[in-house]
Amino acid sequence: MKIRFMSLILIVILVGISGNVNAIAYCSLRDPVAQIAQLYPQKTNQLSIVKMVDDNTRTQVQLALPNNDLHFSELGQHTLYIAMLGQEALGYVHVRSEQSDWGLVEIVWAIDKNLRISNFVFQRCRSPQKKIAEESYFKTLFIGKNYQELKELLSEDGVTAKKKLLEKVHNAPELANVVLRCALKSLLLTKILWGEELEKL
Amino acid sequence: MLALKVIRYFSVHYLLFLWVFFSVPCYANFTENLRWSVDASARLNQNEALDNSSGIYALGLDTHKIFTSTSGDIGYGVGQLYFTKLSNYIPVPFLFTSKDDSEFIIREAHLNYTAGSNWIPNIRVGHFTLPFGLEESIDTNGRLLDYYHGKNLGTKLDWGFGLNKVVSQVEYSVSYTLGGKDKAKSVDGSYAISGRIGSLSHLNLVVGLSFFDGKIDNVVRKRLAFDWQYYWGTWGLLGELALGEDNNQSTGRQKEKYNLIELNKKLINSQFALYGQFIISDKENKKSADKLVNIGFSYQFNTQLEISMSGRKQLNNPPTGQKQQLLRVQMRIRY
Repeated sequence: MKIRFMSLILIVILVGISGNVNAIAYCSLRDPVAQIAQLYPQKTNQLSIVKMVDDNTRTQVQLALPNNDLHFSELGQHTLYIAMLGQEALGYVHVRSEQSDWGLVEIVWAIDKNLRISNFVFQRCRSPQKKIAEESYFKTLFIGKNYQELKELLSEDGVTAKKKLLEKVHNAPELANVVLRCALKSLLLTKILWGEELEKL
Repeated sequence: MLALKVIRYFSVHYLLFLWVFFSVPCYANFTENLRWSVDASARLNQNEALDNSSGIYALGLDTHKIFTSTSGDIGYGVGQLYFTKLSNYIPVPFLFTSKDDSEFIIREAHLNYTAGSNWIPNIRVGHFTLPFGLEESIDTNGRLLDYYHGKNLGTKLDWGFGLNKVVSQVEYSVSYTLGGKDKAKSVDGSYAISGRIGSLSHLNLVVGLSFFDGKIDNVVRKRLAFDWQYYWGTWGLLGELALGEDNNQSTGRQKEKYNLIELNKKLINSQFALYGQFIISDKENKKSADKLVNIGFSYQFNTQLEISMSGRKQLNNPPTGQKQQLLRVQMRIRY
């Protein structure tokens, strides 16, 4: 019995090591009810749709955004939340984490039905620049923009923002880069993974 | 033998739970919005005080399901069922009958109804971690990291129901459970009432107040606790102070004090985490307080594979027996 059970554990471990990285990811809203209400105060409920972020998705992100990658914790099953007012969809909520010098930054994105950023809040951010990034002048640099418009703000290296954006946020340039990369990946993944289903709503 | 154990664990209570779990009205198929993973771990322990090497091997299914209707989410369910095998493990944990025993173990198995309006609390039913102290915001299930929840309260998980909610800048969770630990019933009048109210657990500064009143294994325990967490970049400093008393039929009433301080550090990509803990556990009837140091780390190779290690050492000389000295290594795969 002992040998058989140990063999089973060993097989599972070996399969796990050799397989693709597609297990459950942890990145999600800590409390969807309260956090979605923060972004959509008029919402009455939320509808969750869980999709798999796999190696294929990762490749699509790498192709669309050169020099970018998804953090290993970003692979796995992820939830897109639809903020509902009764039977009506108000918009979407997508949480993603992005690596920074201060650890992983988790941003909760509110996205409108035309896939434009409508607002965002930090779920986890250990950066001392966080307060600056929560001010309205910082947020307005991203709010209202779609994927293409945000991509135009990305410099040729693919990971930092162009000067015209950084000049406006001279006191929090590192966090601006993180927010920009996270916004682009969030919008891109929303379209790739949930796009079809959102069109049916 | 194995078949008997399966039958025993799939008892009436668990089947009732599953029936409730599966019969919630949904428009979607059960597999929609279902997250699941196979969770396998091997933990090796070297206990110097007992001069004993042992192992715990676990293979289980970890599931999370969001229930939805046409107007939105109704709630979610968590189900964790593990086949767990001991190998020369002493002292024998309460769930097992011998040092080489194997059992099916239900870890978390609960439903949380979340469809109430803004102020109506979520309602949780099932087998869940008691809301108390640091464990409420830092889940240690299946990890070497430990906040001594079970030791402090008499059990880590219990069957019952609870209310929980995040309201503006405050989150709370209270529960009434049966005190039967793995059994979904009260045993010899057992019960547990526990709760915690705190600031939002994802912020850089978190504080919380907890209470506990329960009778588990014929020990009446009362606790009040204060916990706190402060994060600065990739560093974290946190602590928990719990004061109270135990009333045991054999040893009588005695005051208890438990204090934990932890310093931790993560790499910026969160793959590597290191922590050190200092714990003081003081009982009125004991001559001196137990002082323990825990040092541990975990390394996440990818989404699936994690290796962790921890070492515990007692600093004071206990009145009887050897100083605690325990080394543990764990490999864990989630697939």
